[in-house]
Amino acid sequence: MGELVGLIQNISNGLLIGAVYAMVGAGLTLIFGVMRTINFAHGDFVVLGMYTAFAFNMIFGLDPYLSLLVVLPAGFVLGVLIERMVLAPIVDKPHETSLLATLGISLIIGNIMLLTFGGESKSVYVAYASEVVSFGEVRLSVILLLAGAVTALVMGGLYLLLHYAEFGRSIRATAENRLGAELVGINTRSIQGAVFGLGVMLAMTAGVALIPLLFATPTATGPILTLKAFVVIVLGGLGRVGAAVAGGLILGVVEVLGTAYIASAYRDAYGLLFFLIILLFKPEGLFGRSVKRV
Amino acid sequence: MIRHLIGLLILLILGLIYPWIMPGTLTVGVTILLFAGWATAWDILGGWAGQVSLGHASFVGIGAYFVAIGATEYALAPWWSIPMAVAVAALFALAWGRLTFKLHGPYFTLSTIAIAEILRLIAINEGWLTGGATGVFIDWMPTPFGIDLFERENQYYLALAFAVGVMATTIGISRSRFGYQLRAVREDENSAMAAGINPTRVKLKAFMISSALTAVGGGIYGLMLSFLEPHILFYLLLSVQIALTAIIGGRGTVWGPLVGAVLLVSAGEIFRTSFAEANLLIYGVLILLIILFLPSGIIGEFNRRLTRRLYAKRAQG
Amino acid sequence: MPNALKAEGITVRFGGVVAVDHVSLSLEPGNILGLIGPNGAGKTTLFNAVTGFVPLESGQVLFFDQDVTVAPPYKRAQAGMGRTFQTERPFEELTVLENVLVSAFLHTPKRKTAEKLAMEMLERVELDDRYDQPAGDLNLARRRRLELAKALAIQPKVLLLDEVMAGLNPPALREMIGLVSSLCQEGLAIVMVEHIMEAIIELSDHVIVLASGQKIAEGTPKEVTSNPQVIEAYLGTD
Repeated sequence: MGELVGLIQNISNGLLIGAVYAMVGAGLTLIFGVMRTINFAHGDFVVLGMYTAFAFNMIFGLDPYLSLLVVLPAGFVLGVLIERMVLAPIVDKPHETSLLATLGISLIIGNIMLLTFGGESKSVYVAYASEVVSFGEVRLSVILLLAGAVTALVMGGLYLLLHYAEFGRSIRATAENRLGAELVGINTRSIQGAVFGLGVMLAMTAGVALIPLLFATPTATGPILTLKAFVVIVLGGLGRVGAAVAGGLILGVVEVLGTAYIASAYRDAYGLLFFLIILLFKPEGLFGRSVKRV
Repeated sequence: MIRHLIGLLILLILGLIYPWIMPGTLTVGVTILLFAGWATAWDILGGWAGQVSLGHASFVGIGAYFVAIGATEYALAPWWSIPMAVAVAALFALAWGRLTFKLHGPYFTLSTIAIAEILRLIAINEGWLTGGATGVFIDWMPTPFGIDLFERENQYYLALAFAVGVMATTIGISRSRFGYQLRAVREDENSAMAAGINPTRVKLKAFMISSALTAVGGGIYGLMLSFLEPHILFYLLLSVQIALTAIIGGRGTVWGPLVGAVLLVSAGEIFRTSFAEANLLIYGVLILLIILFLPSGIIGEFNRRLTRRLYAKRAQG
Repeated sequence: MPNALKAEGITVRFGGVVAVDHVSLSLEPGNILGLIGPNGAGKTTLFNAVTGFVPLESGQVLFFDQDVTVAPPYKRAQAGMGRTFQTERPFEELTVLENVLVSAFLHTPKRKTAEKLAMEMLERVELDDRYDQPAGDLNLARRRRLELAKALAIQPKVLLLDEVMAGLNPPALREMIGLVSSLCQEGLAIVMVEHIMEAIIELSDHVIVLASGQKIAEGTPKEVTSNPQVIEAYLGTD
């Protein structure tokens, strides 16, 4: 019986952390779907969110989740600015150019954070850090539950936006077929800016949700998370937000189970191996769009 | 061709007198030379063949570890362990390339990151292979002709030989059939096939040469560090540095990667005083500037303008 | 004497659409085969199938009696099957000479030999005066000629030309026709996909007409152009 409880607990933890991964992946896949850009800096935006929450906590002594009030709009604006200044000029160049550009952005953001905050890893300690909620014999950490809840809220909002708002429909149209969208009068250039803004916003929000759970180092954590985000979206099939959610949940569960039942040191490797296998043998992801011929 | 060879000779001469002109900066000199060699080797795959790898630190690591473990566990001199590392690196590249060359552009690049990361995790965790996370300390080296391989000055000359050797290889490639096959495959695979070229074979050859040469530099690097830790040797950031050095300097050119190495390592040294560890900031800023304003890299753009100017002159005169 | 090129029952399917439906052709050395048909008839697809760039659902391709049906495009090029591309694809960053060098290196690893061959081909197409110009800077007519030089430098026995005449002004057109004619006089076997009727009529020994993936007529240029079915295919039946 204890083993079953353990399994349920692990799966639940996996799902909760997977939800946050899903949010990271959703932002990345949105960017890819609309702009065909591989945002190498995505993980660094997550870390930026983490450090913003940390700074908030340090300066104002407030709960990191309150920093969302600043993070949500600031993230959006930052994303739009970056898109206008760096990505829009290279929109017609081959795809590897945008990968290099976002790589550059990643280095710049990571190192600016390093200069500002120093190199030691940081986390945020909240008063309720060690609290748990019990569902029968299964105990789940409050922080994880909060992270899951915030994610669900934000993703729910995203879903509503994409499916019921005019703006959201324009986004989906542009992702489907840029030329076609322009022909029906959608301003794809602003859509691209807005989408990048949304992507950055989602990434930073995930960072806020993660900082009570993880430690962040300014230059190392970013690429690790970016890689994780890629695993998520390739699992789900590039460009489909719903699939990215599924991918994130799968990754979360795979990681937790792998760590618990196989070997914890290789936690990151499971996702990577999975990613490679899918990339090579089932490039359409588990649900969708092919990645071999760009 | 002659121009390139003369340039190489000048480089060699400058390299030989450098320790006399700027004593006390030997370590910087070694770093510049190592990066020049690594970037030029990387460029064979990344610039000439057009396949951007962000996993080349794997080969640096292979080179370094073969030298270190070879010496500490098996009393092997570097002139045995480095050729072994080269063979392993080339075979590894062969398998790796076979697996992933069907992926195009950025997806190939992503796969290189994933594979290098997995290798890093293996290096950290498999202590029986690499000494694990605690690292390996090289406590012994042979003394050929009485030369102390731990002395920085000797390592400098090794690095100089490495850099000059890699550049000579690239100069040779640039004029050869292989060089043209590479560029054709990079520009347009279909057109290359119509000219009788097998793209996969060409890419694999490039990958193997690139990885083998990188491993040689890795061996020298291992010697220089003498204490090896897996997470700095197989590190993504090292791969990124190598790739960006070549790209900023100019992909697919003979002198680009060298120029990139001199520029970035020197700038890094200068900035190290004010920005401490954040000298990678320069890489980030420069790559953005290059992408926006000099897309073929410094030497690449220079070459493009030079070619056009020479043609215009000849067509008029 | 063996056929230079023989394709039997070539069928190509893309998803649910049959782009080429059981088309056969054959070609003797020194002859020119014209391939015409309205847009979307499957001419370029047939081309790509014969040269190996598109997989066949069924059919056989014989090159001087050698079965090359499953050979990858580069193997066919090595055997002597040359082709041009409809959207001319020079290697933009290389010079004109270097573009042709790529092909010239096929049968020799020596630079001097390859360079000599490349310059000869450039002289043939009258581009030798621009040997050191970046290929990306050439205008359309010159790109066409460069494309031809690249195909010639692999020393082909069969040459497949994909719309080399399109978009050329009258003097350039005459030049190109003359060039193709002299090539076949040297023993080359040529397949030409064309829309420009003047070239087809003047150059082809034999013509095949495709419409909607099927062969609807074949014969001499005169026979084919006076065939009512062919005329109807071009004018459409709406």
